[in-house]
Formats: sequence, structure tokens, C-alpha cells
Amino acid sequence: MSAPVLTEQAIPPVAPATTKRSSWYAYLRQPTVALSVLVLLVMVLMAVFAPLIADEPSGAGPDVLQPPSGAHWFGTDDLGQDIFAQVVWGTRTSLVIGLAASLIAIVLGTAIGLAAAYFRPIDAVATVITDVMLALPTLPLMIMLAAVVSPSVGTLTLIIGFFAWPEVARLIRSQGLVISAMPYIDGARVLGASGWRIVTREILPAVVSLMIVSVLLTASRAVISEAGLSFLGLGDPDAWSWGRILLNAQRSGTIAIAWWQTLFPSLAILLLVLAATLAGLRFNDTRDPRRNGG
Amino acid sequence: MVRFVLSRALKAVLTVWIAITSTFFLLRLLPGDPTTLMVEGDMTPEMQAALLKTYGLDRPLWEQYVSYLRELVQGNLGISFRQIQPVTDIILDRLPWTLLLAGSAFVLTVAVGIPIGVTAAVNRGKWLDRALQGFGISANALFVPSVAILLLVFFGAQLGWFPIGGAIDPDTRGVGAYLSLAHHLVLPVLSLILVQLGPYALTLRTNMIEVLGEDYIRAAQARGLSARRRVWKHGLRNAILPALTLMGLQLGTLVGGAVLTETVFAYPGVGRLIYEAVGQQDYPVIQGAFIMLAVTVVVANALTDMLYAVLNPRIRL
Repeated sequence: MSAPVLTEQAIPPVAPATTKRSSWYAYLRQPTVALSVLVLLVMVLMAVFAPLIADEPSGAGPDVLQPPSGAHWFGTDDLGQDIFAQVVWGTRTSLVIGLAASLIAIVLGTAIGLAAAYFRPIDAVATVITDVMLALPTLPLMIMLAAVVSPSVGTLTLIIGFFAWPEVARLIRSQGLVISAMPYIDGARVLGASGWRIVTREILPAVVSLMIVSVLLTASRAVISEAGLSFLGLGDPDAWSWGRILLNAQRSGTIAIAWWQTLFPSLAILLLVLAATLAGLRFNDTRDPRRNGG
Repeated sequence: MVRFVLSRALKAVLTVWIAITSTFFLLRLLPGDPTTLMVEGDMTPEMQAALLKTYGLDRPLWEQYVSYLRELVQGNLGISFRQIQPVTDIILDRLPWTLLLAGSAFVLTVAVGIPIGVTAAVNRGKWLDRALQGFGISANALFVPSVAILLLVFFGAQLGWFPIGGAIDPDTRGVGAYLSLAHHLVLPVLSLILVQLGPYALTLRTNMIEVLGEDYIRAAQARGLSARRRVWKHGLRNAILPALTLMGLQLGTLVGGAVLTETVFAYPGVGRLIYEAVGQQDYPVIQGAFIMLAVTVVVANALTDMLYAVLNPRIRL
């Protein structure tokens, strides 16, 4: 599940002095980053072109519980459905929910984090709410809500996105506090800029790169959350998902026999989340002037 | 000391109250409300009305909330829709198993994480340190059911070293029962430790490196204290505190992991109960399980904070 790989201390308050193009180049030239971006690209292509790669799995087939072969690359399940096709179609669900939920969390988290960082009265309330939400067990909370609404890609996105914002808000707030205290913010205030203008025009641009990192890390957590809910039977019944493939293995009691049914979706989750996490963490390192000697 | 404990307890109560209140209203404002879930299609309108009246769902929202809170304070979480039995009894039956599982994972993660983190910090850049960094980052990508299934298939089904499900062999008595308990616990606990250990040990390593660069460590060196004493007595005592806070923050994740692990291993805790209740759409059990887990996590977090205050040499209570 999620761990706070990005701590508040790890964030440099100052943007690097290098030009945009050279810092992107330096970022992409690292082998781990290149590999992660490649994995993410392959996943996106798989999601977009799923219908061209494999037929959507449905119904029962004659080849039941076949190990991986030339005809079925990842084997088949107890209904004779092709696991490779399930994994390919599952990529769609994971990516869509991961990205959309992460965008919801980023928008909410940034708005709340920046408001808390600049407007003192909001800070007290926002911090209490953020602390309460961070203190609660998120998975049981999401289970409870998903069980009541009928789970679909849309409702799962909303539920996951809504419970992922507190960590974003905390990161954005802590950097927003540093920036609010900088002299140029005082300068803007002296010149008569409104609070809204200062937050959107002066502070927001300074946290954009932190937002990019947050998108990647929040999306990783959202993918894991979606897989967990689907594994517990709270996924979209009309969409394939990696968690659902594992649930099918669990329900049909084939876990101990058909290793291919659990291995391939597990690898898909691991690869996607690892790639997104590494890309996010390295991006954060690249921005860090202390590491770049500048 | 009394004042600190009281204020921390008050914060815990406030957290639980906010959680209960917001989820109560959120659940009743959502489109698929509990009445539609509970009422079967083939019931007559009179039967539906009678059923709603039995559960008090026909009264105004505000009244429902007040009576819900009143019942909750008395430890009443309502009646299960499927097994006609109080939710509190059902959950209290299962909670000890989850506490055993999550508690064992918590203690073992700390016990194993400390030596690994400290050793990696002392031998910076060596193989253990590098392995820990890789492990710490990739642990973020580990999906609990995947890890649990891998352990189950390999150590349970293939090698046959450990049981593949359940919590205890009912035929065992006395010492044998405890051994059976421990035997069944190994794989579920290991699944949780594998996911928790990396980030924990990595945090400890980072803190330790910072602490070992402090002036008082150099002063201890100048006084002629042995390296072992400097690291394990003076350094660790300060490095362990932020790691303890992290562990407190991770409790929610740990409980979420326990829910998934229990499902894989058919371990009879609250997590497995949630999985069963989801399949039966037993809505009061799901809500009750969330409340009990939330209370557990909040209380454990408060206790961790109190432990922090006791251990911190800078705070004298």
C-alpha cells in the first residue's frame, strides 16, 4: 500500500537555475527515468489500443486453466478466458482511474493546501480536516462508500480521488508556507495585489513542479487503491481490472494451482506503480538544486 | 503528564466523532441509500414500510443521527441485515484476530527495521544500504494481495511449510494450540511486514545519518565512547523518534493491508468479515467494521504519540 516516500523535508523551496530544456534532458537521460517512462508509454499504448491487441474477454472458452502457451501467452482462467486479454483490458481501467482520481486529488489538494498556506483563518480548519482524514484507515473508508453506491469506473474515481487529497494538501501547504514568507510576496502585497491574485499568480507557479511529482505519486496510490477495492469485489462489474483477475482466482479457488492467473496481473500492478513512483521521485531529485550543485 | 494525556485523548475522541458524523451524513446523501440496498424487490409496500420502521429509517435524518450517536456511545452498532445478530457482537468476535495480526506485524516491523536501518546508516553506500534503498522505494509498489498470494503459493501450497488458510487448527489443545496459532500467523504477518518494512527502515536510516553528523555524537567520540555505544545508545535514541511517528501514521495503511491479507488467507478477522459483508451487501456490518477499525487506529495512534513523549529525551513530562 502507500508509504510516504516523499517527506516534507525532501522538498527544496527554490527552483533550479538551469533552463527548462536542459533540466528535462538531464531528467530523461537517467537510465531509471528512461526505463520508467518507457514502461508508462507501453502501458498507455496498451490501454489506448486494447481492442486492437486482444478481444475483450467474455463468456466461456474451451481451454480451461491452460498454462501460458503460444495461443494464450498468459494462460487461461477457470472459464477458459484469456488472461493476456484480461490484463490488457485491465490496463485501461487502472490507468483511467489512476489518472482521473489523481487529478481530482491534485486539484482539491492544491486548492486546500494553498488556501491554508496563505489565509491564516482557513489554515486552522483545513489542518484539522487534513489531520482527521490522514488519521483514518482509508481502505475501510473507501470500502464503506463503494459498497453503498453501485461501483463503476466513475464512482470509484470519485471515491479514490476524494480520499487522496489530504496528502497532496499537506505537501503543497508546507511548500506554500515557505513561499508565502518570501520577500516577493510581501512586495506583491505592498503593491496592492489581492489575496486571490497573490495565491494564483505568485504562489501557484512556485508549486507547479511539486504538483507534477504529486500527480505521479498520487496516481500510483490510486492504482493500488483501485486494485484493492476490485480485489474485495467492489470493482466496476462491467470493466476488466487487475484486481478483478486476482479476485476471480480467489473466488474460484485456483490460486494454488494456476500461478499464471495471479502472477501476470500482479506484475502489471508492480511495473506500473514502480515506474510512476520512480519517475516522480527522480523528477523531484532533478529539481533539487542541492543535488545538482547549483 | 496528565494534561498531555488528556489533550491527546480529547483529540482522539474529536477525530472519531468527525469521522462518524461525516460518514453518517455522506452515506445517507449518496444516491444508493441503505433502504434500497436492504429492501428486496419482491416485497409489498407494507412490508417495506414495516421493515424501514423496524430499523428506524423512516424518521427524519437529524433524529436518526441523534439516536445513532446515542446507541453508538452505548456500544450498539445496529443489527446485521443478513445474520440477525447485533453488529457489535459480530465484530468483537473477529477484532481480536485482526489485532493479533496487525499488532504482530507492527512489533516485528519495528524490531527488524531498527537493526537494518541502523546498520545501513553506519555502512553507508555498502550493499545493505543500497539494497535497502531499492527495497524501500519498491515497497511502495507492492500490492498486498499479490505479496500474500505469492507467499501462499510458494511456502503454503508448493513447499507445504505453512497452512494456506485459517487461524488455528481446532483439534489442538494447550501448548499445541499456541503453536498452531503461531504457525497460521507466519504467512499473513510476513505479507504485511514485507510491505511495511522498507519505508520504515529507510526512514530510520535517513534519521540516523542525520543524527550521526550532530555535534553531540562528535563530542561523544571525543570523550572516547566506543562506536557501538555512540550509535546504539546516543544516536538511536534520537533517530528512533521520527520513525515512531511514521509508524503511527502508517497504522491506517497497516489496517488496510490486514483487510486484504485476511481475505487471501481466509483469516477470521474483521477484514475477512468486511469481504464477506461486501458479498452479502450487509451494510450495517461494513459501516460498523469501519467505525471499529477507525477507533482502533486512532487509539493506537494516540498511544504511539504518548510513547513518543515518554521516549523523547527533550520532553520531560
